[in-house]
Amino acid sequence: MSWAQAVLLARSLSRGWGGICSTALTGAPFSQYHSSQQCQILNPLMEARVRTHILMDTSQVPLQAAHGLHCSTAMHTFDSSLVPHPPKPPRRPIKALALHEELFRKAPDGTREKASFVQAIQDFAQYNVHKRGHVDFIYLALRKMREYGVERDLAVYNLLLDIFPKEVFRPRSIFQTIFYHYPRQQECGIAVLEQMENHGVMPNKETEFLLIQIFGRKSYPMLKYVRMKLWFTRFRNINPFPLPRDLPQDPVDLARLALRHMEPDLSARVTVYQMSLPEDSKDAVDPTEPHIVGIQSPDQQAALACHDPARPIFVEGPFSLWLRDKCVYYHILRADLLPPEERKVEEIPEEWSLYYPMQLDLAYERSGWDDYKFNINEVEEGPVFAICMAGAHDQATLAKWIQGLQETNPALARIPVVFRLAGSAGELLASSSGPEGSSPPPSEGQEEEDDNQQRQQQGQS
Amino acid sequence: MNCCGLFLRSAAAARSCRALVAFAESRRLLRTSQPSRAFAKELFLGRIEKKEVFPFPEVSQDELNEINQFVGPVEKFFTEEVDSQKIDREGKIPNETLEKLKSLGLFGMQVPEEYGGLGLSSTMYARLCEIISLDSSIAVTLAAHQAIGLKGIIMTGSEEQKAKYLPKLASGEHMAAFCLTEPASGSDAASIRTRATLSEDKKHYVLNGSKVWITNGGLASVFTVFAKTEVVDSDGSVKDKITAFIVERDFGGVTSGKPEDKLGIRGSNTCEVHFENTRVPVENVLGEVGGGFKVAMNILNSGRFSMGSTVAGMLKKLIEMTAEYACTRKQFNRTLSEFGLIQEKFALMAQKAYVMESMAYLTAGMLDQPGFPDCSIEAAIVKVFSSEGAWQCVSEALQILGGSGYMKDYPYERFLRDSRILLIFEGTNEILRMYIALTGLQHAGRALTARVKELKRGNVTTVMETVGRRLRDSLGRTVDLGLTGKLGAVHPSVADGAHKLEENVYYFGRTVEMLLLRFGKTIVEEQLILKRVANVLINLYGMTAVLSRATRSIRMGLRNHDHEVLLTNIFCTEAYHQNLFTLSQLDKCSPENLDEQIKKVSQQVLEKRAYICAHPLDRMS
Repeated sequence: MSWAQAVLLARSLSRGWGGICSTALTGAPFSQYHSSQQCQILNPLMEARVRTHILMDTSQVPLQAAHGLHCSTAMHTFDSSLVPHPPKPPRRPIKALALHEELFRKAPDGTREKASFVQAIQDFAQYNVHKRGHVDFIYLALRKMREYGVERDLAVYNLLLDIFPKEVFRPRSIFQTIFYHYPRQQECGIAVLEQMENHGVMPNKETEFLLIQIFGRKSYPMLKYVRMKLWFTRFRNINPFPLPRDLPQDPVDLARLALRHMEPDLSARVTVYQMSLPEDSKDAVDPTEPHIVGIQSPDQQAALACHDPARPIFVEGPFSLWLRDKCVYYHILRADLLPPEERKVEEIPEEWSLYYPMQLDLAYERSGWDDYKFNINEVEEGPVFAICMAGAHDQATLAKWIQGLQETNPALARIPVVFRLAGSAGELLASSSGPEGSSPPPSEGQEEEDDNQQRQQQGQS
Repeated sequence: MNCCGLFLRSAAAARSCRALVAFAESRRLLRTSQPSRAFAKELFLGRIEKKEVFPFPEVSQDELNEINQFVGPVEKFFTEEVDSQKIDREGKIPNETLEKLKSLGLFGMQVPEEYGGLGLSSTMYARLCEIISLDSSIAVTLAAHQAIGLKGIIMTGSEEQKAKYLPKLASGEHMAAFCLTEPASGSDAASIRTRATLSEDKKHYVLNGSKVWITNGGLASVFTVFAKTEVVDSDGSVKDKITAFIVERDFGGVTSGKPEDKLGIRGSNTCEVHFENTRVPVENVLGEVGGGFKVAMNILNSGRFSMGSTVAGMLKKLIEMTAEYACTRKQFNRTLSEFGLIQEKFALMAQKAYVMESMAYLTAGMLDQPGFPDCSIEAAIVKVFSSEGAWQCVSEALQILGGSGYMKDYPYERFLRDSRILLIFEGTNEILRMYIALTGLQHAGRALTARVKELKRGNVTTVMETVGRRLRDSLGRTVDLGLTGKLGAVHPSVADGAHKLEENVYYFGRTVEMLLLRFGKTIVEEQLILKRVANVLINLYGMTAVLSRATRSIRMGLRNHDHEVLLTNIFCTEAYHQNLFTLSQLDKCSPENLDEQIKKVSQQVLEKRAYICAHPLDRMS
């Protein structure tokens, strides 16, 4: 974003804020807490820029700002806000934790769902009329939300916010506003909002009403709320390749989704070449009969049919693909790019169109100014003929895929197929905290370079 | 134009004198160009071949008398005996109607007299089509029979073939059909699947395959069929080439499917035709073996010009019907005819009818000239203009008629249904636009080869010449291609239109040159540009036709020629401004040129194969 735009944006935003918070914005946090960390703010323009910067990453800066003054244990690391899983809750005194932990533990017969979570919150309110230790409880509840599967439930978040005592933390004077009234509580409020943000939960009017009741208009949680309202909608559809919110659990369905996700051609057909045996018979993935799902478009089929049998084609992989927090692996069937001298120029037959000439008999070509052929983004690669996802990444499994492909591509029988399988690609999965990445391909002993490659491929795909 | 901008700066010093030289040269060039037969092609070079289009072609008094003898009874028959509504409802032309048509000789209008036909010239054929158009199902049936069905025999048949088939076809004893379209092959000749293989004794071809949407397919007994045959090339290799055959139903193995249920022209018979091991004697090959492509192209190209007069005839009838309604129906104590918006529609219909009639008869006149003039571009222009005019005018007519235009009890909605096919058959208008533009560009490209090459090489004289001409153009030159003035080809009453035509033609020539410079032979891929080029050319041809016809009418003092002057001026002015706009769209950097955005939108839609905008009621929270 350009400089001037940033300034304008900052101006208009702060104006939109209604001027009420402006004191809080411009004055207190930055001149006081920030000047020590960042360079001196020299003029109003610079200041505005700094402010925009803060507007851009909505989640972190207020917290960082808070950081300088209050060494509360609520440490929000940089990572926690980048990776979409719940922020690491602070290390609280163990006693307090143990205290409220019981509320969650006593959920009957271990069923963990919304009802029992709500019950726990209500229990807390009953058990503790004075709301003693409510901040600790909220942090604890935030951590527990995922276990109960309520991390995307707006009503639960509102319920959590409702635990805060009302009117107590509202600043009554301008000085209280400037000096970060009740920092621990505000921070806790922000943590709730941040977790909502990380799970893509849009706050509603009720949230706003609660925040005003609890912290007042001129507070950091309120600021966070406004920013969420502003930016959330604009970023929600930023991904041109959207994924469903809940990914299918079945690996075959997941593979289907992933293949469709990669293949731009809508006429491409997904084929399940082999189903894994039902789960109850053995462990999740049967080593002898893993699933094999492939995709191929009609164009790819035609290209494969025209392929010169003298040139081998390759099965390559596994390459990784991230679908939300799941990592899946795929293989491709590809050939090398033909050397330029062997490429056939597609000839236009003389008698083709009955109605109009398909080519002009002229000696001159397109002039340079209208030649858009050259494009640095178009790097020629060899043709890809098919993609597959399999439960196992060994040659035997992939050979089955090739066999399956031969049914629809008879030409494949004549073409030599070379398997170029990377030793492993497990490292990405290890770093992911997803409950199950489809099936971790084998293991250790890979080098850093592999790692980098994998990452790049992931980026491309 | 932008490249000239670059030259402009570099040549600032020399421009004034160069410009004068260039101007003089270009004028001389225009004056001394060789006479040629192709009017539309020369327009691409910015020239008007006056000899071709001025004066408007005429028929002799004898011919006129002769044609009027035909016209009278045919018109009487169509107005009194043909029940179009019944034909449309039942989806069949009654046998007695067909018999009457045969007895009137309408099945052999263009068949030479020695074979028992009427031997009409193109002009007279167009005149009769005007009347036949009163029932579109009959018009289509007859057109499929003689404009394409038996045309192959007339054009390329041997003497024996003509003698064997034409008499019976001309009398209507046999009906002909043209079998080209296949399930996998519309305009793509390479994907024709029907195959003819030479039998062992080399006396027969065995024909196998199926053809779809064959007009008269169920009624015809003689088919012109196009099929792939193996042909040994000059270098000894065996190739699949298309060959045309005359196939009789009696050869065996010919079956036709059930008649298709169509939107319009419901009385015409359209069905599938299957050939199964049909044995066709070698002597029934039409033209050369392997020469079927040319045969098909020539037949298709020759059949188009008559659509102009056909549609004009229909529009005249429609104007009568709607005018009757508009002058009798009262609203707010005023007849509809008193309302401006209704009047405008009548002006539009009259103008379109006038233009397409002029175009059709001008083209027919050109075709009737001795030799075999190549008027395929002109014919395609007539087809595109008249079919689109028909759709537009019928739609406007229905607008005048209001609700009654929509009801099946009235005849009007049938006109709408029937006219929709005009945009589609005999080559869709899109494909014909490609044909118009590319054929002309090929001609212009050849003529300009030397100049373009020198420009690309950077020959100083040529560059200066071009720059000078550009400069002269941008300073607003008055274009004079010699249409007006003393003893000019155009009458002074319509001189204004002639000036507009001249200006358009001149700048069209410049634009074509620029396009060829920019794209060279890859212009084939630029369909949006080709469409615009074709649109300009259609307008230019229309302007020429009306100017020529109006001039003739004024000079002869025909009835209501002042009305023609009005129509001519309206059309010329409208077309002139349309052309200016289109020409500016052809400029690469002009704000009117939205090609890039249009392409992007369609690309995004087609990638998703759906309309991709969010619903207006969608919310984000």
